[in-house]
Amino acid sequence: MVPEFHRQVGIPRVAAIEYPFGRTIGQVHDALGQRKVLLETFACLKRAGRPGEVFHLPFTWPEEPKETKWHPPEISPILKLFKDEIKKAREQERKPGPA
Amino acid sequence: MEMHEKIVDGFRFMPPGLRAWLKKDIPETDYAGDIPWTPLKRPISQTKFSLMTSAGINLKTDPPFDMEREKREPFWGDPTHREIPRGTSQDQIDVNHLHVDTSFIKEDINVILPLSRFTELEKDGVIGSLAPTCYSFYGYQMDYSFLMEKTMPKVASRMREEGVEAVVLTPA
Repeated sequence: MVPEFHRQVGIPRVAAIEYPFGRTIGQVHDALGQRKVLLETFACLKRAGRPGEVFHLPFTWPEEPKETKWHPPEISPILKLFKDEIKKAREQERKPGPA
Repeated sequence: MEMHEKIVDGFRFMPPGLRAWLKKDIPETDYAGDIPWTPLKRPISQTKFSLMTSAGINLKTDPPFDMEREKREPFWGDPTHREIPRGTSQDQIDVNHLHVDTSFIKEDINVILPLSRFTELEKDGVIGSLAPTCYSFYGYQMDYSFLMEKTMPKVASRMREEGVEAVVLTPA
């Protein structure tokens, strides 16, 4: 889901997929789509030859991020606590870098 | 035509603020420590699998993951686990998670813990078998010492008892 986290913790084998949080294997009642994801995952398991390898699965979620539901009904307690820091991080990212 | 392999952007579905905040703590370079490694012993068609997800799923007959304490103590996440037997049906489960929309899992557990898909793959001979027990824990762990020292050894021990050779872990 967030394969970038492997740089922080080290994961033996990663089959990364660009699907929304809470639906890692696919869409509700899409048995065929879910099966395809698992078959690709097995192919990665077969190919993996060293610890820490990251494979990128070729699937594309059918909705744009803005239209994709994955957020909980209420903001999580930790994000509520850090909302000012989150806002600050966004502002910082928007600032132009050194010329 | 030149073909480009897809590179997964793990932040694609995040709002920009959250993305910027989380990215600050992720190193630019690969993990430098030792990474555990267990080679695959036999072909996948002969391998015994288990499944584990961080989605906070429990059987309705078991206690739910504790959301109330996390609401009071935002740095705390329930560090326990629940066993989810193979063959568990949709109406036997509940899901609790304060960081994702759980409604999709409540509609079809296979979106995160693909029990039905693995049973089919077993029947079709794609995998060796699915072990009797699969697992859920709760993915929000700021302090993961209890999870690593108490919970996961229990899970690993149960997996060994059941002869599990590979595990598909699905983060929520």
